[in-house]
Amino acid sequence: MRFGTTEADGRHGSHREGGLRAALAIARRDLLEFVRDRRTLFITLLLPMATYPIVALASALGLRTAMSDIEARQIPVPVAIALSGGESRAFAARVDGLGRGRAGAAAGVRPGWPSRIDWKFNAKPEDAVEKVILGQADLWIDVPRGVFESLDRSGTVTLEIHLPASRPGTRRARDHVAAVMRSLADDARQRRITAAGLPPSTLEPLRVKFSGETTTQAGETAESILPRVAGAILVLLAVLTMTVAFYPAIDAIAGEKERGTIETLLIAPCGTRDIVFGKFLAVYAVTLATLAANVVSIVLTASVTKRFLPAGGGLPLRDLAMAAGVTVLAFAGLAALAAATCLAVTTASKSTKEAQNTLTPVILLVSALAGVALMPGMRSDSVLSVVPFAGQVIVGRAAVSPDDDSAAAGDAGGQQSRRKPVPVVPLALTLLSSGCLTWLLLRGTAAMLVDEELLFRGPDAAGGLLSRPARRRRPSMAQGIGAVIGGFAAIWYGQGIAPRDLALAIPLQQAALLLPLGVMLWWQRVDLRSTFGLRWPGGRGHHGGSAAACLIGGGLIGAGVFVVGAAVLLAMKGTGLSADAKELSQRLVALMRAQPWWLSWSVMALLPAVCEELFFRGWVQSALAGPAASRGRAAGAVVAQAAAFALFHLLPERMPQTFVLGIVLGWITLATGSLLPAIVCHTAHNSMPLLLLAALTGEPAGAITGIPAGTLRIAAGCVAAGVLLVALGRRGIGSWSRTGGFRP
Amino acid sequence: MIEVDELVKHYRATDGSVVRAVDGVSLAVRPGEMVGLLGANGAGKTTTLRVLATLLRPTSGTARVAGCDVRTDPIGVRRNLGYVSATTGVPDRLTPREILLSFGRLHGLERDGLKARVERLVDVLDLGSCADRPTGRLSSGQRQRVSVGRALVHDPPALVLDEPTNALDVVGSRDLLAFLSTLRADGRSILLSTHRLHEIEHRCDRFVIVHGGRIVAEGTRRDLVGEAGELEDAFFLAVQAAAGTAP
Repeated sequence: MRFGTTEADGRHGSHREGGLRAALAIARRDLLEFVRDRRTLFITLLLPMATYPIVALASALGLRTAMSDIEARQIPVPVAIALSGGESRAFAARVDGLGRGRAGAAAGVRPGWPSRIDWKFNAKPEDAVEKVILGQADLWIDVPRGVFESLDRSGTVTLEIHLPASRPGTRRARDHVAAVMRSLADDARQRRITAAGLPPSTLEPLRVKFSGETTTQAGETAESILPRVAGAILVLLAVLTMTVAFYPAIDAIAGEKERGTIETLLIAPCGTRDIVFGKFLAVYAVTLATLAANVVSIVLTASVTKRFLPAGGGLPLRDLAMAAGVTVLAFAGLAALAAATCLAVTTASKSTKEAQNTLTPVILLVSALAGVALMPGMRSDSVLSVVPFAGQVIVGRAAVSPDDDSAAAGDAGGQQSRRKPVPVVPLALTLLSSGCLTWLLLRGTAAMLVDEELLFRGPDAAGGLLSRPARRRRPSMAQGIGAVIGGFAAIWYGQGIAPRDLALAIPLQQAALLLPLGVMLWWQRVDLRSTFGLRWPGGRGHHGGSAAACLIGGGLIGAGVFVVGAAVLLAMKGTGLSADAKELSQRLVALMRAQPWWLSWSVMALLPAVCEELFFRGWVQSALAGPAASRGRAAGAVVAQAAAFALFHLLPERMPQTFVLGIVLGWITLATGSLLPAIVCHTAHNSMPLLLLAALTGEPAGAITGIPAGTLRIAAGCVAAGVLLVALGRRGIGSWSRTGGFRP
Repeated sequence: MIEVDELVKHYRATDGSVVRAVDGVSLAVRPGEMVGLLGANGAGKTTTLRVLATLLRPTSGTARVAGCDVRTDPIGVRRNLGYVSATTGVPDRLTPREILLSFGRLHGLERDGLKARVERLVDVLDLGSCADRPTGRLSSGQRQRVSVGRALVHDPPALVLDEPTNALDVVGSRDLLAFLSTLRADGRSILLSTHRLHEIEHRCDRFVIVHGGRIVAEGTRRDLVGEAGELEDAFFLAVQAAAGTAP
């Protein structure tokens, strides 16, 4: 590792070199290099100019077809009706009279009616059926005897209308005839009212008149489609922004490593962070330039697209300036995040090829995150706006789409002329989130940039595809990430075949977690003691008191964290948990009540603690921290494995608590140099539900609505005491980072 | 000017074993002196030079350039040191003039002074004919001269070069070493590593031979080979003797 301290690294020195001046010099140099790469420049800047017209043309043509179809359906068509029955001619005459009656014009004038009705009279029902089969009539009505007597006086007449099984236009004929029959029924009601001596207004106690103009149906269609189109375009914009950051980022660091020029930068009299910031500025400038090209292309494409839409179907973009401003701001944050993400990934790679291979799945992941924004219920007024790559799309979509969020904000219908409010809070949240994540990524990149292993070591392994790599002390970072992906896939797919009974489901779930770990262990032989921390806490030369302090401390922390976490969850969510969370709670309570305590404890507490600690704090954390971890990388490894640990618990409600627990368990492992205190801590954490249930025997499940203040104070005390004991029992976190992890 | 005292650099291989790349090396290069660091591949030459260039952190021992310690004052070291890595280390899409200007800016040189300095380097290094062509289109010798120019743009008193003649032909090597001799005559301290002994045999003031991370012989040419004989013979004798006594 290159020299790490801020002062020694000259970041705050008083010299003219270094700082922003150096960063700008590096950015200028990298931009000049990028501009000279004409092919990449062409792809990054001109590709959007072709992408959006193609997307828009396809969308506009689709929209045009959809609206033309809707309009075509509204044009009345003639209907041929075959009639049978003794009173069929009188029936036809009554209907014809209705058609001429009110409007005094052609039958087709009445809403929903056909443009013309061709009656086909038949002496026998069989003849009528034949006409329908031969296509001479669209449908057949067998007029019952005494139909008018029943219609005009009392009772209910049942008319059986027979449609052919399948023929184009049948549905439209059915809709037209249904409208005709509704008119016939209205007429019958009028006749009955008149016969009863009641005024005609009896049937119409209220008449509603709308003044003003409403949008055309085509306009409404466009308006309903716009949020989807806008969302899809914003997702495309997010993916393109990420893709564009890909090229300069690879060239900026992995390319420099490959060309051997990175060393010349690292010996410049400036700090590593200045170098990374300079690189970031260059990549960000390219990404912003492409974003600008994208936005210009979108605006031009939107204006041109109007020509492809039917009259009245133009995109009703209201508050265009506000929408564009919000979207550009949100995506400026996304561009920064994309640039920092690409830089981090490429810095962790030893060559451009490795960087490309890593960045491609990262771009797919980003696409999936951005695509989440299109799902129903993704609103900008929720915390979702802080989710990287999804939040920016959600905020942009809320600004662009006409009424996406205004309904939630309490807008009544018919207030569309009111100016749409600027989504200040979601925009601020998404910008804050982008800024914080970008800063964190740049910090991590600076740490990785001077990592001696990444800078100067060659490839990890040699040999054929199936030849096992050489033995390592600890798994590589790629093997850690591979285990996380494999484990998550196993857990996710395992849900489909898991039995309902948790006594079986939990062991199967843990087995699914250990499966990829077993494969990894078979493939990559590692030092088990070093990787999994299989030793007494306190390191070499420990004494019993030190180990006991770590173990007891771990147990106290685990128990306390559960209670504090439960209190926070109850305070935030109350009993309003999701259906999935409630179901899981009920199944856990059922397991605890149905099985003997030792079996419940083994399944719920001991087994997950051992398996998950081996997986997350053992393999994954060791792999991410690396063999000679700096303090920053070790901290990054703890946070990353905790995030994976939270994600593996699948239920969103549980994620914050499991993330905090993951951080705590990671720290304990790091501090004590052993996995045992973390296993004890995890076991204690998972044992608390059993203890609480035993304490609350007789109370119905779900009766707990809060944690008593006294209990909460005891839990907080347990956490504090546990931390103190672990701190006393360990040798010191500094020695860990110096010796590169678990002490030998 | 360049002082290395009991320098140790160990690193951990992926299998967990400790590799002793540099194991107690001590040397000094005075102003106006050119010292050749000789050794086979894997002897520890590059690691020593990288520690001096602040690219690697020493496990123990000290290394100083112009009085600045690589541990406590790496910025001072970088300000006083010009480093030419084993790879040519110049960006392909920039011209020699742009490369020199950009590194001058990184070293905080003022605009006017920087331009004058760059033009002088272009002139001294005979880069005038190719100063505005992308370095990717230059010959190996021209690229190496650009690399040396980059290392000299801030006018450092000490220069460290890692196998600078590796990619050069006979003429290119001779020209580069002649240029280094003029820099030495200016009072600069120069430490260069190579395994092409015949090229530097009569150029360097002293030689340090390393093997297995340790110094196995050092001194002037006369100290090592006497009045007659070749430096190569002395090198082989020293290495073989060290290999024979290696634990």
